[in-house]
Parts: sequence; structure tokens; C-alpha cells
Amino acid sequence: MSDLFFGSDLFNEFDRLQQMASLFNGFPSSIRSGRFGTFPQINVGSTDDSIEIVVFAPGIDPKALDVSIDKGLLVISGERETVRPEAADDTRVYARERFAGTFRRVVELPEQADPDKVTARYTDGCLAIRVGKKETSKPRAITVQ
Amino acid sequence: MSNTTELVTKDDTAVSRRAGDPAQRRITVTPPVDIFEDSQKVTLWADLPGVTKDRLNIKVSDGNLSIEGESVVPTPTGLRLLHAEVPQPHFARAFSLGADLDASKIDAILKDGVLKLTIPRREEARPRRIEVHAG
Repeated sequence: MSDLFFGSDLFNEFDRLQQMASLFNGFPSSIRSGRFGTFPQINVGSTDDSIEIVVFAPGIDPKALDVSIDKGLLVISGERETVRPEAADDTRVYARERFAGTFRRVVELPEQADPDKVTARYTDGCLAIRVGKKETSKPRAITVQ
Repeated sequence: MSNTTELVTKDDTAVSRRAGDPAQRRITVTPPVDIFEDSQKVTLWADLPGVTKDRLNIKVSDGNLSIEGESVVPTPTGLRLLHAEVPQPHFARAFSLGADLDASKIDAILKDGVLKLTIPRREEARPRRIEVHAG
């Protein structure tokens, strides 16, 4: 019960509040980005020639991960199996906070994304997806005549 | 065997650490955990995506178990972050261990960003049957 007042949960809440605050101050979030606490969490960034998406999805067999692009939407889906041991009589559960089950996250890709130039790599529980940008959309210097 | 707190998840060290030690006062992410106990051991699973073996620090001192890790995601130069659900790549969480757990025999396995810690119970703390001899 003491966790209600002290402990990690309280700081979790602070962290969450900070995230909420930064959400309101920052960019408008995508209608498809969902609420905080979803699994897996996603960071999106961009460079001059690519869009970089990092999916924080630990403990998943890469074969069970499905990444697809359809009509400008990047869809990441898969399943994470529970680690719960066999239900023996003497097994007690103290915490079950980790996500288990099927998941699906959708990222809206910008107009200039090239669906033919996608690479995905899973290392240490992070799925890094790189979507190239179309040649025409890359920044370039224009010579003044 | 009572069902009370052999492994207390209350993170009281975080309170003192955040208030007292300015060097440690960076914002960290609390990783989600699963904790199971059977008659032999306590098993803890923690999600630490992007944390490699050499960036993971597991310490036991004064009966407190602390897990700290830093997530390393290779990013190209010139990256502008557009949307961040994991703003801080530092994970930290601490637990106090009951006296019946043998902290010197903790086994840790890190695979695909998931840490599995096995903390055995002390030999004398394991349940056993006591033979009753007829007198």
C-alpha cells in the first residue's frame, strides 16, 4: 500500500506528467499515435534523406515482427509472448507490468517518404526502421543566375 | 509461508537518491518488470530496450538491488527528433531484497533488451519437509 505515496510509481506519474506537458507545448501529436503507455513505444526522427523510426520492442523474435507500408502508413505489428511460468501452486506473482500479447502501431509517413526504400533492423530489443525520402524532396542548393 | 513482501518493490532508495545526490538527479525511465517467486527463487524480468551488456549496471548493496542501463540507438548525424515516446534513454529501478534471498548468487541474462534476473533463496530459507519420527 505504501507504493501509493512513495516509490517508483510516484515518479512514474511525474515522468508521465512531464511527458504530457511537453506534449502540449510541442508538436501536435498524430491522431494515430495513441495514448502514452502503449506498447511498443516509438521515436520518430528525420534527416535530410531519410525518416528514422525506432521501435522499442524488447524480447520479441524478429520473425514475429511484421513491418508493412500501405498508403503512406507504416504498420508495425507482432506478438510478445508472456514469460509467466507454468501455473504451479507455489508460484506467486508480485508484478506483471510488462506487455504481453499482440500489438499494432501505425506511423503516418510524410508525403516525401519513398515506400520502395525501407530497411528494418532489430538489435538489442530495438527495431530501427529507415524510410528513404524521394529524390525530388531532398533539399538542394539552387544556383542564382 | 505468508504471502508478504519477500521482495519489496517499494523504491525507497529512489527518494533518497533523487533528493540527496545531485549527481544522480537526471531523469530516468522506470522499466516495466515482471516478478515471480517460487519455492526456490525469485525471477525478475525487466524491459530494457536498446541496452547492451556493457551499458547495464546491476548492483547489490545493503540488501538493495539496483538496475541501471543506458539505451544506445545508433542514429545518423543530423537527426531531428519529431516524436519521442522515450525521451530519456536512461533506465533505472531499485528493489530491496529480503534477508532470505541470496544476493551473492544472482544470475543475470540479457537478451534482446530483456533482462532476466534469478535470485535464489538461501538454502536454509527454502521450504522443506521435516520428517516426524515415531517415538
